[in-house]
Amino acid sequence: MATGKIHVMGIDFGSTTAKTVILDGNGVIVAWSVSHKGSVSDEGAQASIAEALARAGLKQSDITRTVATGYGRRMLDVADKSYTEITCHARGAVSMVPHARLVIDIGGQDSKVIAVDPQGLVSQFAMNDRCAAGTGKFFEALARAVQVPLEDMGPMALDARENIVISSMCATFAETEVISLLAEGKSKPEVLGAVHAAVASRTVGLVARVGKRDPIVMTGGVARNIAAVHYIEQALGTTLIIPPTPQIAGALGAALIALDEIEITVGNADEDDRVDGAVAAARACGTPACKTPPATSAVPAGTVPLHGPIRAVPPVPTSI
Amino acid sequence: MSIETLFATLEQAAEKPLESARAWKQAHGTRVVGSFPMHFPGELAHAAGALPVILQENHDPITVGHGMIYPFYCGYTRSVVDQVCKGDYDFLDAIMFGDHCVQVLGAADVVRAKLPGTRVHFYQLISSMSDPWSLGRARETFLNLKEGLEEMIGHTIDDEAIRASIKLFNRNRQLLRELYDLRRSGAAHISAKQMQLAVKSSMVMDKAAHNALLETLIGEIEARAATAPAGVRLYLSGHFCQAPKVGVLDMIESCGAIVVDDDLYHGQRFISTDVEEAGDPLDALAGWYLQRNLKVPCPTRVDQNADWDGYLLDAMKRSNAQGMVVLMAKFCEPHMYYYPLIKKAFEQRNVPHLLIETEHELTALEGLRTRVETFVEVVKRRSSTRRAAA
Repeated sequence: MATGKIHVMGIDFGSTTAKTVILDGNGVIVAWSVSHKGSVSDEGAQASIAEALARAGLKQSDITRTVATGYGRRMLDVADKSYTEITCHARGAVSMVPHARLVIDIGGQDSKVIAVDPQGLVSQFAMNDRCAAGTGKFFEALARAVQVPLEDMGPMALDARENIVISSMCATFAETEVISLLAEGKSKPEVLGAVHAAVASRTVGLVARVGKRDPIVMTGGVARNIAAVHYIEQALGTTLIIPPTPQIAGALGAALIALDEIEITVGNADEDDRVDGAVAAARACGTPACKTPPATSAVPAGTVPLHGPIRAVPPVPTSI
Repeated sequence: MSIETLFATLEQAAEKPLESARAWKQAHGTRVVGSFPMHFPGELAHAAGALPVILQENHDPITVGHGMIYPFYCGYTRSVVDQVCKGDYDFLDAIMFGDHCVQVLGAADVVRAKLPGTRVHFYQLISSMSDPWSLGRARETFLNLKEGLEEMIGHTIDDEAIRASIKLFNRNRQLLRELYDLRRSGAAHISAKQMQLAVKSSMVMDKAAHNALLETLIGEIEARAATAPAGVRLYLSGHFCQAPKVGVLDMIESCGAIVVDDDLYHGQRFISTDVEEAGDPLDALAGWYLQRNLKVPCPTRVDQNADWDGYLLDAMKRSNAQGMVVLMAKFCEPHMYYYPLIKKAFEQRNVPHLLIETEHELTALEGLRTRVETFVEVVKRRSSTRRAAA
């Protein structure tokens, strides 16, 4: 297959933001985008996809295969298959930092710690339960409570000179505690420092469940918060590797998986792929979340649609 | 009757157990004896002419029960207390409970306080299972239980009646095990939810009526040609007292997995062991109590010859399962105590497993779904890597 004509798309339809990555057939990032339009927002996902396509100079029909991940992964009609954000973040993070063995991913709603092998495959993982403490949502709530713009919270927290301990990690009760501390006359930097330290201690708990191993890479939107990184490093006693674009690790992983899947030829299709196809067909129940795989007459010779349709490789756009 | 209609009948009893028992009482004029789960020999209550009903966690929010018990008790205990406080057990003629965990003991105290007019019988089964005196002590407890039932009905229960009940209950266990065999072999596609409905309804329905339904069901299933379902083969472990929520079971099987076996109380644990049909029936029930702990080890019992993690590893091999999902009821102390040993054993042998902590109040499944889907993806990848290496 002429990989130069192929483009794949990974979409991370997260709880607070939607991220899209487009790769060419060699696995090189052609374009990416991040859209922030509310919780599990279809509008946000569509905006992110449109922006990435525009940046790449491509149309949706130019995309050979699309894999979705994130909270809204099963809601995207455009996706051929979905994988969990744990699988995709692992894959994306190891692609960004090949020697990483542990991934800390703190997104809008979830925090996860993932042990990975050299191929970027998950070996173990731990994830927060229902509680959103320590996630992006938590920081957003705290930003409102202290009336500091989200992007200013990290730098301000690093100015803390006094160690205050916040005992509650519930986003709701922590807000109450923060307000109480402010009423006692504690400064905003001190309070924010305490909040970030509390988030770090929670992350240490997740790392302990999986088992600490180095090097550690941090992904997700919270990796861009310098105070969160600082306090987690302090709590773990190790330096975290932060990729230049940590928030797109999940979308990148999804795109890489999409690329893997179109590279599987008839001879390489294994039992699991056949089972996946059978499961997908069996679930074709007609509900919006459960679609019958479309006809596959346009599949290029020598390639099988393993998890969903693989569209015909489009002609090279004349503008390129 | 179609398979779907049969399961709908079982579901009606399983999901509305008190309603079903009350209707049975009205229709047949029999007493209803409620019991706590785990080790109650329903055969004795049946031989006394009563309908034995294992009290179930229900789906209602816990409200008034919060005034009687701590929020850090397990969902089963809190739900039972809540039902007692709401008067749901008023129609029961007796409630019988053992002391298999300290939380359930707390619930029993509330039962005593809230239902002063109901016969409440406490039985304390020996928890040390491999001592020379274990069998004798278990027999003494069951004799005491029998005497309590005799006091309730006003006459003795003869051995022949107990043996007849044992035979009926054995038949029920055998029929349910047939369903398990059909599922495990792939000869029938029985979902985790359907299997739970079959076992749970057995805990609350009249056994003869349940046997008749199961015989028809098995006949219908065997007559219907089924292709083996596709998906990652999973084994479910845990939940000693309450049934896992059907939404959780459905969610697991919607992630590309099929449940092929389990050691759940609302599963294999309940039906694993038959009672000897000949000889002294109390000896037979005492023997059943000790034997079932070797068949499916229980973390509330102490037995030098039982090894739960070893049992689970073997059971997974027997059912050709690729991974195990541990369903742990939040605050279940016996399970929390043993889980580290299971985790260690599974990690040492590189057998994939996933822990899911469940709660009475659980409503949001999306986070759980992400974990189960990831687990299924990991298991699939490990399996294909092994195949590629072979």
